[in-house]
Amino acid sequence: MFKQTTVKNRFMKQTLSKWAVLMAVSAVISTSSSIFCVQTQAADKDLAPLDLKLPIPAFMGTPTDIPLTDDIEKPSDKPRPAFMAPKGVVNLALKKKVTSSDKSPIAGSLDLVTDGDKESSDTSFVELHRKTQWVQIDLEAACEIYAVLIWHAHNTPQIYHDIIVQVADDADFTKNVRTVFNNDRDNSSGLGIGKDKEYFENYEGRLVDAKGEKAQFVRLYSKGSTFSALNRYTEVEVYGLPAK
Amino acid sequence: MKSWLTWSLLIVFAAALALRLPHLSERPMHTDESVHAYKFLGLWETGKYQYDPKEYHGPSLYYLSLPAAWLSGAKNRDQLTEASLRITPAIHGAALILALLLLAKTIGAGPVLAAGLLTAVSPALVFYSRYFIHEIPLVLFTFLALAAGWRHFQKPAWQWAVLLGVSLGLMQATKETFVFNLAAAAGSLLGCLAWQRFALRQPLDLRPCLQPGHWALVVFSALAVSLVLFSSFFTNARGPLDSLLTYEPWFKRAGGQTQHLHPWHYYLSLLFYTHRAKGMVFSEAGILLLAAVGAVFAFLPKATGPAQPWFRFVALYSVLLTAVYSVIPYKTPWCLVGFLHGFILLAGYGASRLYDILPSRIPRLAGLLAFGALCGHLGWQAWQAGSPTYGTDRRNPYVYAHTTPDLLNLVQRVKNLAAVHPRGKDMVVKVIAQAGDYWPLPWYLRSLNKTGFFYEIPEDCQAEAIIASPKFGSQLESKLAGGYIMTQFYGHRPAVFLCLYVRKDLWEDYLKKRPPEDD
Repeated sequence: MFKQTTVKNRFMKQTLSKWAVLMAVSAVISTSSSIFCVQTQAADKDLAPLDLKLPIPAFMGTPTDIPLTDDIEKPSDKPRPAFMAPKGVVNLALKKKVTSSDKSPIAGSLDLVTDGDKESSDTSFVELHRKTQWVQIDLEAACEIYAVLIWHAHNTPQIYHDIIVQVADDADFTKNVRTVFNNDRDNSSGLGIGKDKEYFENYEGRLVDAKGEKAQFVRLYSKGSTFSALNRYTEVEVYGLPAK
Repeated sequence: MKSWLTWSLLIVFAAALALRLPHLSERPMHTDESVHAYKFLGLWETGKYQYDPKEYHGPSLYYLSLPAAWLSGAKNRDQLTEASLRITPAIHGAALILALLLLAKTIGAGPVLAAGLLTAVSPALVFYSRYFIHEIPLVLFTFLALAAGWRHFQKPAWQWAVLLGVSLGLMQATKETFVFNLAAAAGSLLGCLAWQRFALRQPLDLRPCLQPGHWALVVFSALAVSLVLFSSFFTNARGPLDSLLTYEPWFKRAGGQTQHLHPWHYYLSLLFYTHRAKGMVFSEAGILLLAAVGAVFAFLPKATGPAQPWFRFVALYSVLLTAVYSVIPYKTPWCLVGFLHGFILLAGYGASRLYDILPSRIPRLAGLLAFGALCGHLGWQAWQAGSPTYGTDRRNPYVYAHTTPDLLNLVQRVKNLAAVHPRGKDMVVKVIAQAGDYWPLPWYLRSLNKTGFFYEIPEDCQAEAIIASPKFGSQLESKLAGGYIMTQFYGHRPAVFLCLYVRKDLWEDYLKKRPPEDD
């Protein structure tokens, strides 16, 4: 009898314990979900479509009959969907100091990369020498970066090779380096195999989602294009929240 | 002949080579160059050549390229480089300077030296001397013919008659357009005789240079050279006949059945001033300006020396040839070198005459400095035009529908794939290009033994690597039914692309064993 009662009590205790654990886990999940939902709702309230000023298209249409594969992005005839970013983001790169791997560009000066002129005119780009080259923008303080927009050259249909966008805490790119875009599929530029796709340049530029990475320096690599072995940069914009 | 002039021209010749020879292999082959290079391969490997009246121009370039290829030490087609082919027109381009010695006695040292300097540094002459095409050899043979004709006109001798005949034969065996040079020369000769008779009221006595024996030598020499080359050294009996039938398709092209249509001022615009996008300005206006000065001196009523009639002839010849090429709707920029060389001869005369009329030492020194500055600027342009920056860049006025450097990346990638493939150079590659637009790939992929070229997707399109025009993309992918990766787009020419498909297993293997980039 005693033995039966003991067993029964133990069974009851175990059952109750399980229920208690289950209840507790449910409560935690429920609470977390609620908090997450509240946070998301709050975040949603703070997001807004990124307001971009695009240059005038320099050529009509895109090359037709482009194979649609995992590696190449098929050009679209439709405008790019709006990019949602926290309210208050601005182009942090505007008029900021630009440095480069090429100390003597073939044409133009490095300040053209952040001068706000992204038209496809003859006066709006800097042209760097052959092989892998980079330009780097100093945002002057560590900022949360949400989007990087790149216009290499949009005067004619072409694809730039080995586009890599990195952010870092120091100018030499030794501290806390993070890669936010890399389409160097064969690692020919030596910064690792990229997973992103190659794409055709056009007036919309390339928008890279930087996912709020906090950094002071942004570096953009390229290795010539289907049009030329040289590396042109018309404009780079870096959208983020200014440092407080 | 003055020895200082000979030595000076030798130094200028060396300078001309210094501008023409460096990095001859670096610039990717233009489609036309690669077609000629591939045609030459056949002659070099098998010793066989057959003139084609519909394409490829005359046989001289191929035969004249053999010595350089032999001397290069290349033992097979892989080892034969672009440099070992381009060196032939480069040497012809520099030889234009030494050829001026033919005229030194009759036109004077000043015009010869000035023309030699301008020939050495003219950006157009330098740029196209580095092209494996027929244009520069045609300029040299034309000049030799004109110089020999002039020397024969002055003092008839059998040597000049033979040189004239051989040069005429070589002109015909080089490019069909030699008839324009002949027409311009004939028109200029008539014009000069009329000027002498009616404007200068000087008697004409052509009897000394109308000796039948000499003219028989001219005809015999010209026919001999023509027959030997067009008959492929007596192995192709139809060749000489084809050399006459060729004009039907070529005149159709000249008449407008082509995509190379440009306005009448196309050539002059290129020479005067080109400033596309930002970057450097290209201009040979200095040469044209001095040529105009030379023309004025050549037509001055007052006799100024024995060189004057020759330069009257050159002035009229250059203007007529410019007019002929400008009127024809079919225009490719390398055609301008023919009349540009005439203007350079005239510019040398203009510069020399300006120097002569300067009154004292200081103005003469200033004149020499100005001429030196002009030559320096032209030489700098010539160097830039051949550099990796402007060698294929559309800002260079002489770059025309050129292969983009990106194509060399494609070639290197395919070769690297073959290097990791078990069958190596026997790896199967298929090139499927819209309307057969796959040149210069046959030249660049010549070392891969199993490479096929197609206008349309073949029934069996499987291969380790497939290079295809984007037009065939979706159709090709559905036919391949997976198993391939479209690895990358490559530029072929401006706004013309090629895609490289690689079998997945080969691509994965390649990524593991990837050789270092051939930078």
